[in-house]
Amino acid sequence: MSDTNPQDSVALQREPIDAAGLAAYVRGPEDGAIVTFDGFVRNHSHGRSTKFLEYEAYEAMALAKMNEIASHLHEKYAIHRVAMAHRLGHLEVGETSVFIAVSAAHRGVAFEACRCAIDTLKKTVPIWKKEFFEDGAVWADGELPPAPPGAKSAS
Amino acid sequence: MCDVAPLIRVKVLFFGRLREQLGTSEDFAELADGATLASLFAFYAEKYPQLKSFRTSLVASRNQEFAAWDTALHAGDEIAFLPPVSGG
Repeated sequence: MSDTNPQDSVALQREPIDAAGLAAYVRGPEDGAIVTFDGFVRNHSHGRSTKFLEYEAYEAMALAKMNEIASHLHEKYAIHRVAMAHRLGHLEVGETSVFIAVSAAHRGVAFEACRCAIDTLKKTVPIWKKEFFEDGAVWADGELPPAPPGAKSAS
Repeated sequence: MCDVAPLIRVKVLFFGRLREQLGTSEDFAELADGATLASLFAFYAEKYPQLKSFRTSLVASRNQEFAAWDTALHAGDEIAFLPPVSGG
């Protein structure tokens, strides 16, 4: 996307996320802080023991939405770089599913921007998680992205 | 020349629980010019009655942007009906 900061890193990937590499990527000599968010697969959900997860995405739109989030962070916060990666496919308990790193001269905006990034990602990026248990599987409840202004019901 | 109402052809994508319910991830639909996202959904709800129960728990996208249900469709559009998202 044209409004994407070329120095940011945004990815959807089936291979494991290199968290240390992404944190190092956003680090610059003008920065004084990096805040990272590491979201990983929990071994339980709604009282049931989770075996593994599967993620799928509307990949082109998900990447566009992730780039929009990064652009929004630059508009709103005095930050340096954003790295954002989300896994797809089969994930075992303990594996990182999403990783976000934000660098800035000062810690305050880095914390705020990182929090904004993960909260927005969970509401607006078209990615879906299926949870597998001993006795079955369910699609996670999730959040319905906000409809644009003027939307009416599908009826 | 005969007057034939023009049809527009759009690509339709299904994800997550919707993909599983329909047993397909991609389809092409031909609709009368002037069709909207709502009428496209109605077309699929007719074809797949199990879709009706999803109606209030979906958002639609047109060309990879969230779109209102009254959005008009154009030939070549890429449409998706998206269940609640659960990334992270």
